[in-house]
Amino acid sequence: MVRFLLWPTVFLLILGFLGMVITSPASSTGQVLVFAANGQIHTLDTAGMTWMQDIRAAMGLWEGLLEYAPKTLQPIAGIAKRWTVSPDGTKYTFYLRHTARWSNGDPVTARDFVFAWRRMLHPTARAGYVTMLFHIKGAEAYFNALTHVHGPRVPFSTVGIKAQGNYKLVVTLARPCTYFLDLMPFPPFFPLNRRSMQPFAPRRGLRYGDYNLRWTHPPHLVTDGPYKLTQWRFGQYLQLEPNPYYWDRRAVRCGCLRLATYSDNQSQFLAYHAGEVQIVSSVPAALGPALLRQQREGLRLDMHAELAFGTSFLNFNCDKAPLNDPRFRMALALAINKTDLVRGILRMGEKSVNVLVPPDTIAGYHSPKGLDENVALAKRLLAQAGYPNGHGLRQLSLLTDNDISINILIAEAIAKMWKANLGVRVRLVSEESKTYYEDEVAGNFDISRSNWFGDYDDPTTWLNLFRTGNSNNHCRFSDPKFDSLMRQAALEANATRRFALLQAAERILVDQQMPAAPLYQFSNGPIYNNQEVGGVYPNSRAITLLKYVHFRRAWLAHRTHSPVAAGAAP
Amino acid sequence: MTKFMFSRLLQSAMVLWIVYTATFWLLMATPGNPFVGEKQPPPAVLHALAKRYGLNHPWHAYWAYPWRAITHGDLGPTISYQSWTVLDIIRQTMPVSVALGSMALLLALWIGVLLGTISAVFKGRWPDAFTAALSIAGISVPSFVAGSMLLLFFSVYFSWLPPGGWGRFSQLILPAFTLALGFLAYIARLTRSTMLDTLSADFVRTAKAKGASPLRVVAHHAGANIAAPILAYLGPAAAAILTGSFVVEKIFDIPGMGQNFVNACINKDIPLVLGITMVYTVLIVVFNLLVDVLCARADPRIALR
Repeated sequence: MVRFLLWPTVFLLILGFLGMVITSPASSTGQVLVFAANGQIHTLDTAGMTWMQDIRAAMGLWEGLLEYAPKTLQPIAGIAKRWTVSPDGTKYTFYLRHTARWSNGDPVTARDFVFAWRRMLHPTARAGYVTMLFHIKGAEAYFNALTHVHGPRVPFSTVGIKAQGNYKLVVTLARPCTYFLDLMPFPPFFPLNRRSMQPFAPRRGLRYGDYNLRWTHPPHLVTDGPYKLTQWRFGQYLQLEPNPYYWDRRAVRCGCLRLATYSDNQSQFLAYHAGEVQIVSSVPAALGPALLRQQREGLRLDMHAELAFGTSFLNFNCDKAPLNDPRFRMALALAINKTDLVRGILRMGEKSVNVLVPPDTIAGYHSPKGLDENVALAKRLLAQAGYPNGHGLRQLSLLTDNDISINILIAEAIAKMWKANLGVRVRLVSEESKTYYEDEVAGNFDISRSNWFGDYDDPTTWLNLFRTGNSNNHCRFSDPKFDSLMRQAALEANATRRFALLQAAERILVDQQMPAAPLYQFSNGPIYNNQEVGGVYPNSRAITLLKYVHFRRAWLAHRTHSPVAAGAAP
Repeated sequence: MTKFMFSRLLQSAMVLWIVYTATFWLLMATPGNPFVGEKQPPPAVLHALAKRYGLNHPWHAYWAYPWRAITHGDLGPTISYQSWTVLDIIRQTMPVSVALGSMALLLALWIGVLLGTISAVFKGRWPDAFTAALSIAGISVPSFVAGSMLLLFFSVYFSWLPPGGWGRFSQLILPAFTLALGFLAYIARLTRSTMLDTLSADFVRTAKAKGASPLRVVAHHAGANIAAPILAYLGPAAAAILTGSFVVEKIFDIPGMGQNFVNACINKDIPLVLGITMVYTVLIVVFNLLVDVLCARADPRIALR
């Protein structure tokens, strides 16, 4: 028996041992700070990024012309040490620091920005956020010309991006953009080191776009930010170490930072609890209410939830009867008890809202009041629309994604409220996210449950969704008055007047037309022990600037991490 | 032998082709667009994406894909993880699944044989009943229940073992054991029945009669006879462990191939699904072939034709 068991045993032991050795993380010297996030890092090509975790990593690896101030998230001097804006608000001149260097020692020059931005404007770079560059004069025309292979050529010299010498970058905008500086710390505007990417350049014609993405892997990736990339294990982690050439090297106090990938935030939390992870990016939905209660009772101090820069709402398909009638949409929106959703189902500190742009998150912008729940008015509007008590109405479909189980509960609760309050019958359609998004884009729905998180500090990051022809306008909403207000706002250089125009535009959405019914503002934030980790500044936009994250010295001195110190078990 | 190998290789190629075609058809038939997400890029970018992944003309890609795989050793780029190629991902995740799988198989083999032998020797008494109960539990309790329970007790309540992750030996114990359970139970039942047959055979009585110790009779004389059925089972078991570790990988957050396979299906990541399916198919084919050869060597009555 022993003899026949021997060979398989030896074989399996060798296989297991080899597998472990090949895949286990390399040991690193010193303290490793582990930051756990949901889901894989998809790409480290700054052009192709759309995911939160990719953007967070990129903000630690690169630095744009400007960076975010850690607490206020206001744009402050980054690679550019100063800048000037022309009086009409269309010409930005950035003066780059002479001390800024890439992680390979090359100086960061204005040409690195021109190269990166120009590459992004090539469709072959497959840049999801390319529209952000369309603020720049001629950029949209250049991009469009490149998408039509046989159309007329547009030379790059027509685009308002010019390097004057090594350290001066002049950007001309198509029209004034009051939040243009706020975009600078965002990955699409990061520079790229062309020399290090050269070996991966595409062979045929398409000079800028289609690089072999191996350039994003260590040791090839060259970045200009606080950290450089030293290791990238698929599905495990990304390891960052300080960039020795970074101009603000002294501000970087973490010797080794690991961005770990977890498949769900429950296992992240378990790892945190076991002391293997120092920061968890978001609260696990299943444990959230219990953890928050512990926090309120003073049993733990490591929850840092804040109201987020994101709202949840219902999209009404304005192309389809009866949803093409604003009175009908309004009736549905007024018959939802949002407090029940927030207090009964979500229970993570979310706030019910009557507007689409999360209130009080954008300095200087005052949200319109919006409409509170009003079932009597809803019934009247429904009758006016021709369906008293829901009579003669077909069954409507309510589309939701089912990746997060709470979304289904929300949809069920809303369906129940409509049935009880208005007699409107709704069929739930729950789909996996890829199918759900496809149906949303194609308009295969009556009503869809949807979320939006803002990209930049301006109401237009929401309001643009409702402009005629916007590719994210899943409501298929089109209103000449709204469009005209948005156009006027785009041309307005005075910030106060502009916000007033945008407020009027949002009022059309939430008070008159209701293409989407606002539900609630999200709440989330990282979990970490304040005595252990410093330099994390929770904020509504869920941006953690890795540059400032570090272990507290006092904590390292007598390192006694135990779950008790971090908080009691749920 | 040469003729046998040749015909098996030919069959394997056929199997691969059929699996590949079926997978591709199913992928084309499933709804969902891999490029859409919460934020829609402009149409030109969507077009460039589709072009890059050959999805403007999927049938061209379908023919080119295996050809490129054979000639260039290139399984193409992934859709969801743009910085990685399919080959990169398989290269980084397969060793994880292999390490986990071989540890699980090792546990299943040793514990299974041991339990099976004990229950055969003590047939009808309490160790037999105990093992029977254990095997039934092992076969019938699904791994997501067993895994969660183990996790709850050993890492959340007692904090003896880490809750998951990858890299240290201690992180391997709970998932390997969870993955082994079902196979362990089956091997125990298999060992028990084979051992019972063998223990009542004439040569065992002879061995006892000539004064061999009970331990030697069981381990040496009877033990040699349980080799064939268990070896025959190990092949399919190895393939099943490697391809079926998704649930365990998910519970214990192990960066293995199974998790990525399921995620790839959900994301409609066509190249990644095709790549991993092909790897799985090759593994199953190879394991079955290996077992056929090994069985023929262990038992001269089996001829390879």
